[in-house]
Amino acid sequence: MTAPKAGASLNPYRDVLGLEVTPERLEENLAAFSDILVELRKLRNLNLTDVHPAVVFDPTGGTCDEETER
Amino acid sequence: MSAEPLDRPIEALAPELHAGRLSPVALVEAALDRIRRHDEMLKSFVQVSQSALDDAREAAREIRQGRWKGPLHGVPIAIKDNYLTRDMPTKAGTAVPDITFPMKDSHAVAQLRAAGAIVIGKTRLHEFAWGTVTPPTRNPWDLERVPGGSSGGSAAAVMAGLASAALGSDTGGSIRIPASLCGTVGLKPTFGRIGRSGIVPHSWSLDHAGPLTRTVGDAALLLRALSGPDPGDPSCQDRLVPDYTAALGQSLQGLRIGVCRNHFFGRNQVVVAEAIETAIGDLASIGATIRDFEVPNLEYGLGAIFAIELSSSTAYHDASLRAGLTAQFEPDVRTLVEMGRLVTGPDYLKAEQFRRVLIQDFHEAFEDLDAIVTPTTPLTAWAHDATTVEIAGGPESVLAASWRLTYPFNLTGLPAISIPCGFDRDGLPIGMQITAKPFDEAMALRVAHAYEQSHDWWTRRPQL
Repeated sequence: MTAPKAGASLNPYRDVLGLEVTPERLEENLAAFSDILVELRKLRNLNLTDVHPAVVFDPTGGTCDEETER
Repeated sequence: MSAEPLDRPIEALAPELHAGRLSPVALVEAALDRIRRHDEMLKSFVQVSQSALDDAREAAREIRQGRWKGPLHGVPIAIKDNYLTRDMPTKAGTAVPDITFPMKDSHAVAQLRAAGAIVIGKTRLHEFAWGTVTPPTRNPWDLERVPGGSSGGSAAAVMAGLASAALGSDTGGSIRIPASLCGTVGLKPTFGRIGRSGIVPHSWSLDHAGPLTRTVGDAALLLRALSGPDPGDPSCQDRLVPDYTAALGQSLQGLRIGVCRNHFFGRNQVVVAEAIETAIGDLASIGATIRDFEVPNLEYGLGAIFAIELSSSTAYHDASLRAGLTAQFEPDVRTLVEMGRLVTGPDYLKAEQFRRVLIQDFHEAFEDLDAIVTPTTPLTAWAHDATTVEIAGGPESVLAASWRLTYPFNLTGLPAISIPCGFDRDGLPIGMQITAKPFDEAMALRVAHAYEQSHDWWTRRPQL
């Protein structure tokens, strides 16, 4: 008999996505999400490999002053 | 148009206030009286300021002493209740008692007070600025219809003359949608133009602050007062703030106005489509050159804004989610906040990648254009109990339809203004949206003002 794999005990919604709701609420959320998923799938099918995201990291945190910029 | 001061735009009131022919005290008393008489029915305010009259007396004293602060001095302005205020608690539309916010002025409110404006009260919003309905606020043109949202209280208050102007916030259309449905002007400036510190966040990279006003000229006045650096908002840019009123009254001769024929057309109520085509013709008749174009990538926009808005809102409400407080949210908002967990990290970043594509598409379109015109909403104000409407021969969810034409400019951050461009057969306003290049609000205001001045839509008022 082999031991169950560690991943088998993980609940994909509660443990992986952090959505801690009752089974009834989960059903409601998934039903509401189904229309959104149609749109997300379109986005997922786009090839944007060479496109930098619009959000740009700023190591100064926007707090750089003249002295530190020298 | 009525001669009552609160039915007149700020641009007409300001010279009267400056010259001492109109007192800020009389103006604020008139606003408080109208709120008392009409707001039990409209439900546009959640709080009325207890210090507004004292503030008006102080403004009157300053003006008498020659300390004129500009065109907003002594003018009653309403504030959407997701902006923090030092003298009134902020609830951001939620009834959850354990969720509270600091008693201090948001950057925008501080800017308005510095310009001499009188904060008259806080207006109702859809909970946490989600949604386009704003229950239980009513549309002043038809009390059985919604005012739009999430800044529905602000739009209803301005159109009903309960305040001379109001502040709203716009994540997917929340200034422009209620402006369109209530017949006011609503301006979402460029992302980064107005500081947002002290506004309860909804989605950091989509949220915009902006005014709802009677006229385009009033929007120009408020934009100038509100713009400028905000050390508390990392996204706010320290750019030159022009005198936007200089753009008003300029001819449209030689301007190139684009009409994006995909996405924004083809799925609108017939009366809306007809009104916009007429307005486009009117813009041509006053000097603009009209050019049709298309942005095919708009078909991916809905997935992108859902990914960003849902995941951002869920991140903001994460502590409430884990503490179980979201169970006390309104059912629609609770579902939206919980659903954000289902958006993955790659979905979010793919949406941010897509944003750059869409920004580039509009950048290229603007190489041959000065402004873009679209309808603001595909439909006029719908009944409170309606969940679907007939559009282009089929039923569509009112929530899905209501923001379809506005959210692209939250993804791109471009400035966009909604102005009235007609009324349907039930007497409900129709909105036209004018968009310009980044930080070129002056161009959007110029086109909007030229159209406004060639019609009398802005002078019409609902019977309350």
